[in-house]
Formats: sequence, C-alpha cells, structure tokens
Amino acid sequence: MWYRSASFILDKQEQQRKDAAESRPLSLVSTAMTENPGANVSMYYETRAAHHGVVTSDWLAQAQAAVAGNADDAAVENNASGGEEKGKKFSVVDEFNNWRKQPELAEAVAAIRALASVIRSSQAKTMMELEIELKKASDSLKSWDTTSISLTAGCDIFMRYVTRTSALDREDFGSAKSRLLERAEKFGEISYKARRIIAMLSQDFIFDGCTILVHGFSRVVLEALRTAAENKKLFRVLCTEGRPDRSGLRVSNELAKLDVPVKLLIDSAVAYSMDEVDMVLVGADGVVESGGIINMMGTYQIALVAKAMNKPMYVAAESYKFARLYPLDQKDMAPALRPIDFGVPIPSKVEVERSARDYTPPQYLTLLFTDLGVLTPSVVSDELIQLYL
Amino acid sequence: MPDVHSLVNEFVIKLKKRQIEGSKTTAKLTAELLRSFISQLRLPHSNQAGALIDAVKEVGEKLITAKPVELAVGNVVRRVLHIIREEDLSITNAAVGGLNLASESDDDDGNDEYDHPVLSASAVAAAARNALRPPSLQTLLDDIPHAAATPHTSSSGDDSEGKSKSADSLRRKLKHDVIEAVNELIQEISTCHEQIAEQAVEHIHHNEVILTLGSSQTVKEFLLAAKEKNRSFRVFVAEGAPRYQGHAFAKELASRGLQTTVITDSAVFAMISHVNMVIVGAHAVMANGGVIAPVGLNMVALAAKRHAVPFVVLSGVHKLCPLYPHNPEVLLNELKSPSELLDFGEFSDCLDFGSGSGSPLIHVVNPAFDYVPPDLVSLFITDTGGHNPSYIYRLIADFYSPDDLVVQRKSAS
Repeated sequence: MWYRSASFILDKQEQQRKDAAESRPLSLVSTAMTENPGANVSMYYETRAAHHGVVTSDWLAQAQAAVAGNADDAAVENNASGGEEKGKKFSVVDEFNNWRKQPELAEAVAAIRALASVIRSSQAKTMMELEIELKKASDSLKSWDTTSISLTAGCDIFMRYVTRTSALDREDFGSAKSRLLERAEKFGEISYKARRIIAMLSQDFIFDGCTILVHGFSRVVLEALRTAAENKKLFRVLCTEGRPDRSGLRVSNELAKLDVPVKLLIDSAVAYSMDEVDMVLVGADGVVESGGIINMMGTYQIALVAKAMNKPMYVAAESYKFARLYPLDQKDMAPALRPIDFGVPIPSKVEVERSARDYTPPQYLTLLFTDLGVLTPSVVSDELIQLYL
Repeated sequence: MPDVHSLVNEFVIKLKKRQIEGSKTTAKLTAELLRSFISQLRLPHSNQAGALIDAVKEVGEKLITAKPVELAVGNVVRRVLHIIREEDLSITNAAVGGLNLASESDDDDGNDEYDHPVLSASAVAAAARNALRPPSLQTLLDDIPHAAATPHTSSSGDDSEGKSKSADSLRRKLKHDVIEAVNELIQEISTCHEQIAEQAVEHIHHNEVILTLGSSQTVKEFLLAAKEKNRSFRVFVAEGAPRYQGHAFAKELASRGLQTTVITDSAVFAMISHVNMVIVGAHAVMANGGVIAPVGLNMVALAAKRHAVPFVVLSGVHKLCPLYPHNPEVLLNELKSPSELLDFGEFSDCLDFGSGSGSPLIHVVNPAFDYVPPDLVSLFITDTGGHNPSYIYRLIADFYSPDDLVVQRKSAS
C-alpha cells in the first residue's frame, strides 16, 4: 500500500538547519535575486510589473540593477566564447531590453525588432549565413529569458518566416534581406492591427448591461473594453487587485478614465462576486498546444470558480503567443519567480510561493479571441501543427 | 434580367411572411435562386470573380436580412461565395500554368518546361491558396508582396492575342464552373438525408432504446434505415409541445413496424435512465459546436448529460453556420404565436392591454428554438460522417471562406 510518509518534512528541516549553519539568513526574500537573476527571477514578469503595476521606486531600482547585471553577464559570457559575433550578441540582448522597456510594445514585437537589428548590422553575403546568424541571435535571446513565452514565440515565428522565404524565392540576396527587414519592421503594425481585430471580434460578446470580470493587466483586453466604451455600450467591470503586481489598480485607473463603472476586488473576493458576473475576460502570456493558457497567477483559480458557477471565460490573445508547450500540470513549466513584498519582514524559515504565473487547462476556457478569428481551444493545436509542419 | 429580380423579391417576401418553413427547403430554394441569378448575370472582362462575388453579396445581404433567424439562407449564400472563390482559384492556377507552358512550347526539352515556370506558378498558387484559407500563424508575416506577384506573372505571358483568347475562355469557364458547383450543392442538400441515414447501422444496435423529441425528417429516415437493416430497437418519442408533432411522428414510426412509446416532455427526465441514446435533429449548428434546436431539447440534453446518455445530433452540412453565438437564446430565437399555447378566447381578460397599468398581467411566450451548448453534445452526424463538437471549426474552414463571414457589399475596404 502506498501512503505518504512525513519524510519530506523531516528532510526539509534538516536542510534548513544545515543552511542556517552555513550562511546568514535573509530577512527579506526579495534580496535573493542578486545571486543569479536568470534562474530565480523572471525578467519578463519584472518588466511587465514595471509597465503595468504600481511601482515603488526601490523595487524599480532593483529591477534596473538586475537588468544591467544581466546584460553585463551576457557580455562577459560572449567575450569568453570569442568570435566576432560577440559584438552582435551583446547588441541583440541589449537591443531587446531597450525595446522591451516601452510599455505599449508587445514582447514579441520587441524580440522581432531586436532580430531586425541583427539583420541590419549583419555582414552576411548569403541567405544561409544570415539564417545562421539569426538562429544564433534568436537562441541567445531565448536563453536569456526562458520564462517569456511571447519572446520565444516571436523568435520562432520570425525564424520560420525567414526559412520559408529563403526556400521559396530565388531573388537576389540584397532584395531578400531588405524584404525581411521590412516585414520585421511591419510586425509592430501587425501586432497593433491584431489588437484592433481582437477588440472588434469581442464587441459582439459584450452586451448592454453585462458585468465583466477582468484579471491581470492585458493591453488587448483594455483595447477591447475601450472599443466597447467608445461604441457607447453600457457595461460594468469587476477587476481583481492582482497581487503582487497590483495590476488591478492600473486597470481600474484606465477604465475610470473611460467612464466605465469599475469595482475593485481583492483576489479572494472573486468567488464571492462571481454570481453577479456575466463573463470573465482575461489576456494571456502564452497559449499552449492543448488550448490552455499561461497567464498571471490567479487566472486558474478564477477559471475554476467560473466553471463551477457556469460562467463563460473568454481569453483575448494575439496569434503569435501560440507556443509549442504542453504543460501537464502547474509545475511543468520553467519556473518564473518574482519577489513578493509582504510589507513586513518574514522569518527566513518561512517559504514563499513566488511563482508569477499559472496554467489554465482548456476545459475551463469557452472561447479565445485572436486575430485569426474567434477560436475554440481545440483549434489552437491545429494552428500550431500548420505552422510547424 | 428583371425576371430574376422579381424572383428575388418574391423570395424575400415569402421569407418575411414565414411561408417557407424548414432549413432544408429554405436552403434548396436559396441555392436555386442564386443559380438562376448567376446564370443571367453578365460579367465584365476583367476580374470576373470579384464582380460575381459583389453581385452575389448584394443579393445575399437582401436575403439574409429578410429572415436573419433562418441561418440556412446565410449558409447557402456563403457556400456559393466560397464556391466562386475556389473555382476562380483553380482556373487561375490552370491558366497561369498554361500560359507559362505555352511560352516555352518551342523548347524541345520537356524537363526544362516544368522547372522554372512551374515554380513561379506554384508559388503564386500557394500564395493564392493562403489567401483563400483563414488567416493563420503561417501567413502572419506575409503580406501584399505575394499578391503583387500574381498580375506580374500573368502579364509576363506571350502576345496579346493569346492572352485575350484565354481571358475569353476564362470568363465563360468561371460562370460555367460556378453553376456546375452550385448544382452539386443543390444535389447535396437534396440527398443529405440519405447520406446521413447510411450511417445509421453503425450507431444503432440491437435491443437499444432511442429517445427523440418532436418530429424530424432526418431522424425518421435515420431510424428507418436502421430498421431496414433488421436492427430491432425501441423508440421513445417525446410529444414536443406546443405543436405536438411527436404524436404524428410516433404514428408514422409505428406504421413502419417500430415499437414506439409516446411520453410528455416533462417525463423525459424520468424516462432517461431507461434510454441508451438520444437522437435528434437540429435547426442550425454554430461554429463552436452549439446547436439551435427545437424548443425542449436543451432540457433533454441536460437530462442526457446527467445520466451519461450519448446525445447525438443529426444535421446536413447546409445547417452548419460559420458564426459564433453570443446570446443565442435571444438573438437566434423566434417567438411564435402564443395561440399555440392558449386559445385566443381564453384568459382574454388578463391579456387585455386596457386593464390597469396598460400592460397585460399575463404574458404568453412561445419560443421556437433552444440553444444546446457544445459540451452537452456527444456526436454530430453529418453527410460527411460523425464528428466531435470541437471539430466543427474544421468543417467550416472546408466549406466557407473567412472573408464571407460578414455578407455585406463592401463600398470601401
């Protein structure tokens, strides 16, 4: 007969005793990130919080320090590896960070712009060489932040496009290069157009007198609500606080500007308020192969409550967020950790769940609004197959 | 020409007056109307497909707005538009290939011909095929550059004489092909019952108990086809208030030798545990797999789900609608005359608008349809076979083009 033994607790206590003996205990968990930023803290979520959350200045300073530290690390690493690509590699990651800091720019757009800069500064004379350079740059970007799905997806789509164009056409290298550059620059427009399309598609589902529950700060969702407000639709929004980013505060700010009635809830009040909700609308950090989504921590919880109370859950996500991942459970993804500030010092013995995201399986989602149209979760894997065949 | 326009107007009036009932009849009449419309249409020399599509869209818009709840009209219009696009595509492919091959006709070496021109032709075809399919991740970064290549290759052909000749034959060919395809569509609509009934043997087995509600031609043929193959089974027929079509249906089944039991709609939940399978027809199937079905079927679907009984929906492909339902209970429903529930003489004092506050104390609502969400449906049986509700989007991609979802004459793009 199998039954759980308490040994894991005993082992943990032993480990803690050993750690306490070796190093100084840290009073605030947040300072743990200075050791190895890449492994412990997800830069993606840090940057997003910087864009959307209510930011405290010292937290921001920490984030800046981490970014600078990482860029230096990357530079050192590349110097060690040698080769004349080192200059470009450094600029790719740096370039990417520069783009990423802009709050209106989507992650994938920043990635593609960074890759475009690689093309621009490339010395290659043939398509093959250019492809290899791009592949290296894309790999370095991906490895720099393994937790960002849009980044990976953006790089993949661009690499896919490059390989497809080079295979099909026999035009000369110069014009091919300039066309790639032009498409890369255009991607920003495509991303913006995608948001407009999603906003239009979701208009039919927002009816007069409805109450929408929103979680997390998604620019796509905001665009959809903004369009509905401009079309003089009468609706109400319940918005979760979104600890630890407090993204809800930002959302409520934006909606108040649009004269949309907003009510803020603490995260625990979702089930309490779910019966007055008509639909849940969230964005997504990534859409995975099963049709489920990866989004800010708390989305899965809300999905479960919505399902239990028979409320539809809609996801607004651009198509370039479709990723080739298939998480089987919550812990099946690369960990993306974030510092959480409780406001008071926590004893070092107390662990904190610092994951910034969770996975919502497809059976809890009703429909996805994407720039490819309104999709049911089962269509996602179909689209991915078509792309990666 | 005025002949067809009067036909169109007549049809529109019939739709508005609800003189045409049933999605199959409506679909067939719409297809026939569009066929006559296309056959008398005079097409310009260039861009026939575009002109044809515009004309059909104009008529289609009129037809759809006449009776928006009858989704079969919109489905057929969109099918025809998709047919036009497909035929145009296949003709362009053949033409481009033909042009380029003809230009190299003096070349003796056969292998050389297939090399260079076919590559560009296939690239053009691939690009055009992408344009026909719904937007996808693959084509996300693609844009106008491919479309620009199409006129380039066609103009790079040989002398003007050859071009005008092929353009002429092109023009006649497009209309001809489209009308042929529309004929096939009409044929398909007419024979959908037989195609579905052929699959009956796979789903109905010996000593089974089937439940159905009301009366449906498709279900009748399905059950009788299984009977022909000597399957012995019993049928429970729920009467389907307020029209009580279930009574006539049960009578018909009994006359063909099937053991039938008539029950009230309210008794469905009580009897569902004795039933092996529920088989029903549909008025329309939406893109998410949801079903617009005669009223009472949502209740039956819920009962079936509760007791783990498979809920099978039979529908011809012409009932497949590429739209997603938002608020279908209200927007896609039709309120029929309350006289079916209460005779006009009864309760006349309570239904009086003149009494008290000016509105009657009793309201009588008679919705015609129910919306069954996709998670309650186990299987769809169409003329193309059996499908999961989550697969419906694939069928839609096969039969409809994404550009036609909104049937409106575009004045400016």
